[in-house]
Amino acid sequence: MTRYLSILGTFARACLVRDLTFRANFILECLTSLGWMSMNLAFYLLVFTFTPEIGRNTGWTREPFFAFVATGLIINAIVQALFIPSAEELTELVRTGGLDAVLVKPLDAQFLLSLHRVDFSALANGIVGIALLAWAVARFAVPPPPVAWVLYPLLIVCGVAILYALVIMLAAATIHLGRNQSLYDFWFYITNFSRYPAEIYSGPWGSPLRALCTFVIPILLVVNVPARAIAQPLTGAAWWAIGGTVLAAVAALIVSRLVFQRSLTRYRSASS
Amino acid sequence: MAAVFTYTHQMHNAAVAVGKAGPLTQPVTQPVIQVAGLAKEYRVFDKPEGLSASVRALFHRQSRLVEAVRGVDLEVGRGEFVALLGPNGAGKTTLLKILSGIITPTRGAATVLGHVPWERADDFRRRFALVMGQRNQLWWDLPAAESFRLHQEIYRIEPTRFARTRDELVDLLGVRKLILQPVRELSLGERMKLELVASLLHEPEVLFLDEPTIGLDVVAQHTIHAFLRHVQEERRMTVILTTHYMKDVAALCKRLVVITGGEILYDGSLAEIVDRFTTHKIVTLDLDAEPDPARIARLGFPCEVRGPRVVLRIDRTRIADALPELLRDAGVLDVSVEDVPLEEIVAELFRSAARRSQAEEATP
Amino acid sequence: MSVGPDAPAPGAGPFAGLRIWWTMLVISIEERLVYRGDFALGTLMRFLPIVTQVFLWTAVFSATSRGDIAGYSRNDIVAYYLLTMLSRAFSSMPGLATGIARSIRDGSIKKFLVQPVDYVSFLFASRIAHKLVYYVVAAAPFALVFFVCRSFFPPLPDAMTVAAFGAALGLSFLLGFFLEATLGMLGFWFLEISSLVFGYMLVQYLLSGHMFPIDMLAGIPSGIPGTSLADVVSWLPFQFTAYFPAAVWLGKIQGAELGRMLLVEAGWVVVLAIGCRFAWRRGTRRYSAFGG
Repeated sequence: MTRYLSILGTFARACLVRDLTFRANFILECLTSLGWMSMNLAFYLLVFTFTPEIGRNTGWTREPFFAFVATGLIINAIVQALFIPSAEELTELVRTGGLDAVLVKPLDAQFLLSLHRVDFSALANGIVGIALLAWAVARFAVPPPPVAWVLYPLLIVCGVAILYALVIMLAAATIHLGRNQSLYDFWFYITNFSRYPAEIYSGPWGSPLRALCTFVIPILLVVNVPARAIAQPLTGAAWWAIGGTVLAAVAALIVSRLVFQRSLTRYRSASS
Repeated sequence: MAAVFTYTHQMHNAAVAVGKAGPLTQPVTQPVIQVAGLAKEYRVFDKPEGLSASVRALFHRQSRLVEAVRGVDLEVGRGEFVALLGPNGAGKTTLLKILSGIITPTRGAATVLGHVPWERADDFRRRFALVMGQRNQLWWDLPAAESFRLHQEIYRIEPTRFARTRDELVDLLGVRKLILQPVRELSLGERMKLELVASLLHEPEVLFLDEPTIGLDVVAQHTIHAFLRHVQEERRMTVILTTHYMKDVAALCKRLVVITGGEILYDGSLAEIVDRFTTHKIVTLDLDAEPDPARIARLGFPCEVRGPRVVLRIDRTRIADALPELLRDAGVLDVSVEDVPLEEIVAELFRSAARRSQAEEATP
Repeated sequence: MSVGPDAPAPGAGPFAGLRIWWTMLVISIEERLVYRGDFALGTLMRFLPIVTQVFLWTAVFSATSRGDIAGYSRNDIVAYYLLTMLSRAFSSMPGLATGIARSIRDGSIKKFLVQPVDYVSFLFASRIAHKLVYYVVAAAPFALVFFVCRSFFPPLPDAMTVAAFGAALGLSFLLGFFLEATLGMLGFWFLEISSLVFGYMLVQYLLSGHMFPIDMLAGIPSGIPGTSLADVVSWLPFQFTAYFPAAVWLGKIQGAELGRMLLVEAGWVVVLAIGCRFAWRRGTRRYSAFGG
């Protein structure tokens, strides 16, 4: 276990050194993600000039909504910093046959392939997310109860775990198919559904979609449940959701690992 | 031209049983690598050419079955240095990848150091190393020294032992000055040497080398040959080297396995292959003047004339008789008698194998 | 993209141009078809983010008591997003600016300095070819989506509006092309234009109407007294790449205002076309001076 941690430390250190060497590029990447995020925040502010709440009686007024956005920023920053860079490189590794070198090492392949690249510039959004959360929570009519502050980090971890499981399954598809057109595009489309509170999915089309994205591919649990824990009152239904999310996270990790292992046994390897 | 060693059913079962039982301490007599009836097939989709073919490909793709490895049997003992020689696409790299656990075979059994390779047990992976020519396993942006350290952590090498092994290997290859430079700044030859160092840091018992000298200049090849010979002898490593260069084989190995079309054509020593597959020797005569063509023709042996030099192919059994006669035919300044070059022998092996497989395909 | 600024420059001659176009067309189609699983699916996938936005706006409407926001009903907004997909299909030029900058950087632009082929015309031709291929393969998915969503659209507009819409689309292609081409030409002066491109894309994202109809900015005062943000944006080129054609079709811009904006759009096209040509002349002179 400690061995894995120290190896992770070496990877992270190597990536940090590289990022700091290409400093200008690093700063540009930070500014890029901050830039997109600001555009979106501007859009949300615009929306709130037309309405006091997103959805009727959902509780997502302006400050809670921004707490939701902040939660999304934090979770996505973690996933994009830790897991996405390695997953993107996986396509290259499979194409060039570099994956062979990974399989030969006495180290869990999934660990190596998930974490060998870290993108520190993606954390910029996460930091802004934390600031935004602080700003929003300070303006709540009713401050969140202490238990919410315990649940929040736990549920963030669950959200990250569910997204990680998704990344791993996409990576497994890459290994199996030998190529992936663009992992990042696919990722964008999937996570796009979880940008807003789940309550917006209502009506004859919305409700089935909401059910699909909650119970089958649980992406709606990722941001909604932690955000609701901090921004909305903790009702009985909320506790069910929290329990379900923890279970979903564990299940997702197990399922994704099985899928990944399976894809390794069917690995073809590039021709020499 | 079947494999020299035949593999009995009994031994096959024993190998499978050993594999299933898991890692064992190896009795000295047990071969390090045992392969029986190994086969690997791929389904390959044909890429469409042209516009109409591309459209058709939307609905139905042509595919065919490629047999990369067809029923290979092999046994390698401890400390052997075996060359796996074959043209591109012969299946030698596929075989190596199966033995290192990278891909799972379609059929057959194999054990390496008592483990079934494709189960990828950590204990197994700690005991062997794989080096692939032209493919980098070192971390591109880091200096090699960092990669070595990472290696130490991954393989759990004890620090003092690691330092000693590293220094020894680095000095043997003369790359001490290079280990602090980022790997991407180095030449192919330098990178290869560092790859070799990295692969031996954990003192593996088995070393798989996949075309390690490809693309390297003569000097680098030479250095690496000497290095490999030295470490293999010193550490009694079992080495399998795939290559299509005869040079590698001649410099390093006593045992040669010729593979083509996924099958083993020959498995034995270098000396034996010459004896078995050639019937003649090559006699080169340096004459003092351009020879008279009529006289040469009268000799009755197939020959080649290059200025004052005549190259003859003389049947082995007749050399003892033919030589004195040749030398008597005045004007000979120098004579040499050589075996047919290995490249030719092997090339002929490939050609006859290709002819055979074409004939097989033709018959319904 | 393997076709484009890096493709071998053909010789001159009247039919050479046609032959180029035909070859590029065929190659582009083949290229697309190689990724057989991806292309139809990929086009449909691009509509997915709209689904989320539609749900968002529906939720916004349900929370307020208003029937419309800045003149758009809920259905109008759905129609609007779909129409912006169409206008962006005309005006988006993926990789144009970065492609030009790259060929300047790696020197492959030299062949255009030497051979009697005009670089800008070549790029223009290749973009048209790309677009044609794109329309051919995307027509079916687009038609499907528009048909399925036809209930969101208001009744078909009159002939004048349709004509204006067509003009707006054509102009948006030209505008998008010259905007990005000029941006790419800046590669003659700046080694790395990626920050410039990024800045451009950010502004585009916000002000092109991609995210929301520009009319929604009408309530926000700009720095200039007496005008709103929407008024200022209406003079900028960005809104023409997504917002303008959509708004025209939906009848949100009428009469004199419509005429004015078409003129503004045409004006921008002319300015940028001249700017692009100017940048090319100056840039190549500078480039040759440095030996390339």
